[in-house]
Amino acid sequence: MSVYSKLLRLMVTVWDYLPYILEGVWWTLGLVAGGLALGFIIGLPLSIAQVYGHRILKAIVEVYAWFFRSVPLLVLLFLFYWGIFPALGYKLDPLTCSILVLGFRSGGYQSQIFRGAIQSIGEGQYIAARTLGMSKLQGIYHIILPQALRIAFPGWVNEYAIILKDSAICFVLGVMEILTRTRYVVMATLEPLLPYFIAGGLFIILTYGGTKLVNIVYEKTKIPGLIGRI
Amino acid sequence: MPDDIVLKVEDLHKSYGNITVLKGVSFEVRRGETKIICGPSGSGKSTLLRCLNLITRPDKGRIWLEGEEITNRNVNINKVRQKIGFVFQEFNLFNHLTALRNVSIGLEVVKRLKKEEARKIALEMLRKVGLEEHAYKYPAELSGGQKQRVAIARALAMNPAIIFYDEPTSALDPQLIGEVLEVMKALAREKVTSIVVTHEMGFAQSVGDEILFMYDGKIIERGPPLEVIQNPKCEQTKRFFQKIHELYARQER
Repeated sequence: MSVYSKLLRLMVTVWDYLPYILEGVWWTLGLVAGGLALGFIIGLPLSIAQVYGHRILKAIVEVYAWFFRSVPLLVLLFLFYWGIFPALGYKLDPLTCSILVLGFRSGGYQSQIFRGAIQSIGEGQYIAARTLGMSKLQGIYHIILPQALRIAFPGWVNEYAIILKDSAICFVLGVMEILTRTRYVVMATLEPLLPYFIAGGLFIILTYGGTKLVNIVYEKTKIPGLIGRI
Repeated sequence: MPDDIVLKVEDLHKSYGNITVLKGVSFEVRRGETKIICGPSGSGKSTLLRCLNLITRPDKGRIWLEGEEITNRNVNINKVRQKIGFVFQEFNLFNHLTALRNVSIGLEVVKRLKKEEARKIALEMLRKVGLEEHAYKYPAELSGGQKQRVAIARALAMNPAIIFYDEPTSALDPQLIGEVLEVMKALAREKVTSIVVTHEMGFAQSVGDEILFMYDGKIIERGPPLEVIQNPKCEQTKRFFQKIHELYARQER
C-alpha cells in the first residue's frame, strides 16, 4: 500500500470520528464555565475578606489560597474524587466533581487576582466613600468592586486560558471532554498523530476565541483612566 | 448649647503608638462660620479633621455635631458622616464614575433618593461649581482644579451641616488654585459652615472668620485672620508666617 493511500484512509477514518471529538468541546466548555463561575463565586468574597476582613478571616483565606495553589490539579482531582467526597458520603459523577475541583482551585487563584486589584485601588477611594456616609459594604460594593473588577480583568482572562487548558486533566476521571474522546479515537484507530493534532487545534481555537470575545466585552465597558489592558 | 453652634470639640486627644498627634484640642464652629486651621506639617491638622468625622477614632475627648454627641459609641457614624462634607487634598473622586455620578452616588446610595431626583440635584451642584458642561466626563478627563470642584459639588450635594476642606489646593498646579479658591470663597460668602485646613493666607484673610494655629498637637494661637497673620504673638506662629511670606514673595518675583 502506498504512503498516499494510507494517509487518505487515515484521514477518512479520523473524519468519521471528528463529530465525536467535537462533541467534547461542549464538555470542555462546561468544565471551564462551571470552574470559572464557581471560582468567581468563591474568589471574590475571599479577596474582600482578605483585604477588609478580620485577622483570623485573613489567615483562613490565605491558607485556602495557599493549599489550592500548591497542590497539583491531578492530585486534587484524585483526592476529592476518591478521598474527600466519598469520605463525606457523596458519590459524585466525574463531571460534577471535576467542576467543583476546578472551581475550588480557581477560587484560590481568583481570590489573589481580585485581592491584587482591590489593593491597587488607593485607600482614598474607600475613605471618600465612607466620608459620604456609605457603610463598609456599600463602599465596597459601589466604589471598590466596580473598579477592582475592571482592573482585574486581564488577570481574569488569563485565568480563563489557564483553566481551559487545565480542564484536559479531567480526562483522568473519564469526563467526556476533548482529550478523553481523542484518546478513545486513538485507541480505536491506533493512529495518534492526527487526533492529537485536532485536540490541540481545538484548544487553540477555544483559547484564542474566548480571549477575543472577552476582549470585546472589555473594550465596551472600558472607562478612561482606569487601567487594565490585555 | 446655643442653636447656632454646629460643631463643638472638647479636649481631643489622639496617639498612634508612642506618637501623640493631638494633645487636647478644643474649639467650636458657629453656623455660617469659616474656620481656618493652619500650622506646620505634622502639627496634627489632618488628624484633627479625620477625628472630627470619626474616620479616625479619637482616644479621648468629645465632639458634638448640631447638639448631638457623636463620640458616643451608640451613634450611627454613617448617619453622622452624611452631615459632614469632606474635601480631600487628593480629590479622591470615584475613578469609575462620571462627574455627575460622583456627585449623585451619595444621594442615591446613602440618602436613597430616586435616580432622577439625585441627577437633578447633582446637575445643580455641578452648575454651582461651574462644571455643568463637564458632567459626563470621567475624573481622568478633568484637570486637577476641575476635579477638586467636582469634589466640592459632591460634598455640597449631601446638604451637610459643615464642610471640611483638608488642604484642598495643595495638590494643584499654581494656575489651577484660583478656580478652586473662587468656588470656596463663594460658598463661604453664602455662609456655608466650614473648617478649612489651608496655607492660602489670601483666602484666610478674605473669608476666614477665625484662624486656629496648630503646633505640636495643640492650638497655640487663635484669632481673627488679619491679626494672627500680621501680628502673631507666639514665637512658633511668627516663624511659620514668616516662612509663608517668604515663599509667596519668592513666587511673586
